[in-house]
Amino acid sequence: MDALEASMKISGAGLEAQSSRLRVVAENMANARSTGPVAGANPYVRKTVTFANELDRATGAELVHVGAVGVDRSPFRVEHDPGNPAADKNGNVKFPNVNILTEVADMREANRAYEANLQVMKQTRDLLTMTIDLLKGSQ
Amino acid sequence: MVEPVFLFDLVEKQRSWLSARQSAVSQNVANANTPGYKAVDVTSFSKVMDRSALELAGTNGLHIQTAAFDPRPSSPKDGANWETSLSGNSVSLEQEMMKAGEIRGAFSLGTNIMKSFHGMWMATLKG
Repeated sequence: MDALEASMKISGAGLEAQSSRLRVVAENMANARSTGPVAGANPYVRKTVTFANELDRATGAELVHVGAVGVDRSPFRVEHDPGNPAADKNGNVKFPNVNILTEVADMREANRAYEANLQVMKQTRDLLTMTIDLLKGSQ
Repeated sequence: MVEPVFLFDLVEKQRSWLSARQSAVSQNVANANTPGYKAVDVTSFSKVMDRSALELAGTNGLHIQTAAFDPRPSSPKDGANWETSLSGNSVSLEQEMMKAGEIRGAFSLGTNIMKSFHGMWMATLKG
């Protein structure tokens, strides 16, 4: 496989991985206040995403993929709110261990990495175009 | 004019080397957030050219072929990468973007030289 084609494939894998990361961030943010279904139950648990590199046999390059979507084991936030349907007998409600600030920071980083991948992909396409344009000058 | 410097062959080799380097850059950028990933680069063009000077011609299918011109990404020496994060990842996006800029410039130079020599060639043919 041509190195430039391989390059496109690698950048594509990078875009895919970063968008999975954004998806997990979106899930966490959407569920930032999701309590458990019954009184005293555990709420939504924050999800974490890890990346891993894998060797692609066709190109010999290290592609990136989402290794595993794990859960954050940090403690839940507990608030006193006896009126909440999910409150236990002492009136405490467990809220998810999601910190919006952390999620926003993660989102910005995913965005930056996505843009970098996109930039490399654009440039690879430009290099291919330059090669093809050699034909233009040969009438 | 073109023959004594093997110009087209040289430009083709440079293009192949730059493509390999571009693929190394995209690999680094894609793995910019992978824990433990070590950034790679391709050995410099002059070094690859020096190594590919001796090429044995294979006259039989059973002959071991020496790799003619095969730039491959490999981990560079320590200190070549700008930073290593706590997760053991040694990719710096800024450094990769700079490399990408270099590649673009060199690629554009190569193709333009080829174009201009081709133009001269055509001019001599057409008269």
